[in-house]
Amino acid sequence: MIQDYLILSIILFCLGILGVITRRNVFTVFMSIELMLNAANLAFITFSRLHESMDGHVLALMVMAVAAAEAALALAVVILLHKHKGKLDTNVFSLLKG
Amino acid sequence: MFAEILFFGFAALSVLGALGLVFFRHPMNGAMSLVVTMISLAGLYALLSAKLIFALQLIVYAGAIMSLILFIIMFLNIAESDLPEEARHWIYLAGGVVIILPIGSFLIKIVKSIPGGETTIIGNGFGGVKEVGLVLFQDWLLPFEIVSILLLVALIGAVVLAGKRRTDK
Repeated sequence: MIQDYLILSIILFCLGILGVITRRNVFTVFMSIELMLNAANLAFITFSRLHESMDGHVLALMVMAVAAAEAALALAVVILLHKHKGKLDTNVFSLLKG
Repeated sequence: MFAEILFFGFAALSVLGALGLVFFRHPMNGAMSLVVTMISLAGLYALLSAKLIFALQLIVYAGAIMSLILFIIMFLNIAESDLPEEARHWIYLAGGVVIILPIGSFLIKIVKSIPGGETTIIGNGFGGVKEVGLVLFQDWLLPFEIVSILLLVALIGAVVLAGKRRTDK
């Protein structure tokens, strides 16, 4: 049964990678990153249940805090770039290209 | 037996939500299917008897972060013409599947060699607020403080970025 949870976590992580590398919409890319963080959380909780220790729960808490900070910053950047460029395409966001 | 039925129901719902996120064109539909994934993951945490994480997944992820994303999507008022046209979408998708599939099958093969255990609900306060809090404030105190600094920096950065006015025009 433990393996089923881990396999589900791997499937969700691979779907997140697929969303990041195939879509060009900024919001979809950002939400795919959130999906990958959730898959990592599921693996943490599953291993914590397997070893019956609490450390995985604490790590999942940390991941949630980092995801909240990342959501705040990334959405601010998206609003700023939408104000400057008026688009939601990741291809026009290559401002730092040398 | 009942827990296995619940597990397969939640697993199918979460995979369907993730597929919807990858395949829907409009980000609002994608955000809605991501909410389905978050809520079914909360159910899976409850099946793994992680009570605190179950509550936090519902409150923080499905409540706070997803409503923030939905608010920003509604704030930008995205029409169909604002979306990038993804004409060669299917070529990228096929290439991505070709890259991802070997890695995923390799990871699944590794995971199957892990000695399995039963996932029955265990008592003794496993995953409750008190136990997680004891571990958090005894063994993980320094990372906890660092996370608080990270949240402060992200907050100030978001305010500075979103509130900046262009003066060079």
